[in-house]
Amino acid sequence: MRTPVFILFFSLFACSAYGQLVFDQPEQSFKARPEQEMIIAKYRFTNAGKELVKIENVQTSCGCTTAGLKKTEYAPGESGEIEAKFSFAGRIGKQEKAIRVTTSQAREQPTILRLLVDIEDPVKIQPELVFWRVGERPNTKKIQITVADNASLKILSVASDNPSIKAQLSEVKPGKEYEIEITPTDLSQPAGATFLIRTDYPTQNPRTRYAYARVK
Amino acid sequence: MMSVRQALLILLAALVPAGLSALVHPHRPPWSEETLAPGEEKLKTVLTWGSAVLWVDARSQLEYEAEHVPGSLLLNLEAWDSLFPRFLDQWSPGRKIVVYCSSRSCEMSHEVAARLEQNGISPVYVLKGGWEEWKAARTAN
Repeated sequence: MRTPVFILFFSLFACSAYGQLVFDQPEQSFKARPEQEMIIAKYRFTNAGKELVKIENVQTSCGCTTAGLKKTEYAPGESGEIEAKFSFAGRIGKQEKAIRVTTSQAREQPTILRLLVDIEDPVKIQPELVFWRVGERPNTKKIQITVADNASLKILSVASDNPSIKAQLSEVKPGKEYEIEITPTDLSQPAGATFLIRTDYPTQNPRTRYAYARVK
Repeated sequence: MMSVRQALLILLAALVPAGLSALVHPHRPPWSEETLAPGEEKLKTVLTWGSAVLWVDARSQLEYEAEHVPGSLLLNLEAWDSLFPRFLDQWSPGRKIVVYCSSRSCEMSHEVAARLEQNGISPVYVLKGGWEEWKAARTAN
């Protein structure tokens, strides 16, 4: 009678002896200013299993992120670190990068590390989309652009990529508030437009922002 | 007396793993009806909507490329400017949108849903349990 019970308990707990990496902080969050160029995150781990673990692959979710390791094999109880470097390259807003770590012990179940970076956005466009239904009256709709109090920048111009949906930029409060009036000329069929909103910020590499119109 | 003792031992042998399973099993059934956060919807309900749903995957491109809900569109905040126009091409006013992410650590689905709603796009729902819930249901079937 004791033998089957013992086997049952043994089989229940056998999986915990499997070689595995345990990360201290598999998800890390940062805040950044738009003029910052990059951020470095360090993911510390320990081999909590009873076998040697070999890290076979560390893959990042975009070319803007690199991840490095000092060595690839870790004995039971040994700790190490994966260093991830995320270069912003003009990105703004909430960014989420994933780093996939594959080990020899769990090739089919890679560990996903996450790097969350909130890069402050000095320009708020609200809404980013205006839309009309096919057959509707072609009334003008407005998009507001607000510049953050601690930012100094200008909205230089707005251009529509579709001549049948016109965009007119006006400055409401100098350097702080702008308005774009969007006017479609034909709502008899589906159409769309992308508006390119040019700014003078950051100075080195000024960003173009976008807004959209759709007739559906 | 012997048979009662044996029966009790068998019962104990069954209760211990059952108790452990109820406490730690990753797919154990809930003790009570799950509560939904504002804007969330259960997979069971979403599946009754059929093809009327436009699925939106708010995870990273890497995770999306590895596996995703068939027919879903990738839309996350990190590549919003390039992905949003493609979403708009598929979207039509009034179509139900269900956003999912990875339930383990990602809040991106709620943020993507909020940004869509700020742009007048509705109705938008966040899948309760995220990608893992969908995958577990598909595996079970």
